[in-house]
Amino acid sequence: MSDDTTLAAFRLADTALPVGTDSVSYGLEQFIASDRVGDSDDLRALLSTYLTEQLGPGDLVALRVAHAAASEGDCAGVVAADQRLQAVTLSAEFRESAERTGERLLDLQRDLRSDDLLDEYADAIDAGAAAGNYPVVLGTIAGREGVGVREACLLACHEFVSALLGAAQRLMRLGSTAVQRVLDDLRPVMIEAVEASAERALAAMTPFAPLIEISSAVHERADRRLFLS
Amino acid sequence: MATDAPHPAFEGYASEPVPQAAVGAPGKVGQLELAFRVAADGESYLARDLARVPFHVSGTLDHDPHPDATTVFVQSPTGGIAQGDRHTVEITVGTDAVASVTTQSATKVLSMKCNYAAADVSLSVAAGGHLDYVPEPTILNPDARYCQDVTLDLDAGASAIVGDVVVPGRLARGERFDFERFVSRFEVRGEDGLLAADATHLDPADGDPTAPGVLGECAVYGTLYVLAPDEDCESLADEIHGRVAGGPATAGATTLPNDAGVVVRALGHESEPVTETLHAARDESRQAVLGVPAPEVRKN
Repeated sequence: MSDDTTLAAFRLADTALPVGTDSVSYGLEQFIASDRVGDSDDLRALLSTYLTEQLGPGDLVALRVAHAAASEGDCAGVVAADQRLQAVTLSAEFRESAERTGERLLDLQRDLRSDDLLDEYADAIDAGAAAGNYPVVLGTIAGREGVGVREACLLACHEFVSALLGAAQRLMRLGSTAVQRVLDDLRPVMIEAVEASAERALAAMTPFAPLIEISSAVHERADRRLFLS
Repeated sequence: MATDAPHPAFEGYASEPVPQAAVGAPGKVGQLELAFRVAADGESYLARDLARVPFHVSGTLDHDPHPDATTVFVQSPTGGIAQGDRHTVEITVGTDAVASVTTQSATKVLSMKCNYAAADVSLSVAAGGHLDYVPEPTILNPDARYCQDVTLDLDAGASAIVGDVVVPGRLARGERFDFERFVSRFEVRGEDGLLAADATHLDPADGDPTAPGVLGECAVYGTLYVLAPDEDCESLADEIHGRVAGGPATAGATTLPNDAGVVVRALGHESEPVTETLHAARDESRQAVLGVPAPEVRKN
């Protein structure tokens, strides 16, 4: 990648990116509230499941397809990836989180750049033809910025784990070094998830984490909660 | 070489010859076709049925609390699904008809040394119709390789309840996740295309199904899909969740994408808590969608 695309990738991976990823926990808040996650070992194990069972066989497949379509200027391909990811995301809170952060990321990018494909995609979202899920928006923008597909997948894993670690830090006793240690430990799992997502067609997405879904269903109805999901 | 593999992970198995009756031989290709219609008096009836071994249909039952509904218990004279078996099931529910289809007992997927077994289930419900498709649990014996595909097509104004429970072995014998591979896919399509899709691919040698966030300490996994695009899905999800949360299984309900309905997940250490929980969810759903409770359980 050129220096320009490397910097674009750094910007997209930054937790300071103002898209609201600091307001989502994808069910983690409920795991901590129900004492299923109590220390950094539990956290590492659960984050591994998110990576291998949700991102690898799900989000990253849609991200790859959106990246390829966006690189070719094919908005219909981006919309198809978005629709399929929407259909396989069975947890209502996950859809809500991915749509909100996705919409904000797309708006932000359109404020920075003039890009016909992004405008066309935003129109499709406004018309209700696509939901604007975060992984699809991220794949699309990475494709337009020239960030390679593997880097875009790794970036998505890093961003997701960083967001959930940030949530964990606000929900449980967890030092900054412990957070960095978990992030560091999860590197091989992120790489494995990225490799597992390669060569999968959209129709072959199989995210499977029932306990995370049930945790999210309980979280939806929790009286006191800090996070959107 | 057989090229009918339903999933890429099954291609290697497909080329393995089956030493007993070959793939496609009589008895290996089970076929079930059921078509439900409404008679002039408004009662639903089984208008057409075709059952090739190992499927058997001996008529309809009339115990559903819905006054016009009819019920079929699908029976099997065999011990279970064997290597090389290919089953197809096609159930169509006509305009305004109300039908329930279940199996008489659990489906056992037997141990396999070669090839695999697969079932292809197509369900369709026409406008104003309703189908309950709630088979008994599927039990996966050691070394079983099983792929099931369920597709549901809904016309406008149609509804359906589809259940699926998987037991990862004969738990009382200490078997847990000793099967080789299990793929289960469910897709529901409305008039404008795909509404929701769910897929499970369990390969216990490659990924631990009991990892935190997946099944955890639980073994039995069940799902109930309530397809009711005309209902207020959010309040239905809340009602069902209220009914299943705090019950015998670890369970929760959430709305499906594209306002298609509600999905209920239930996990347990054995079958009963999961089937009981999903039965409660089915009961709640039927009261909302059909205005009648679930029929009493006549099996056991």
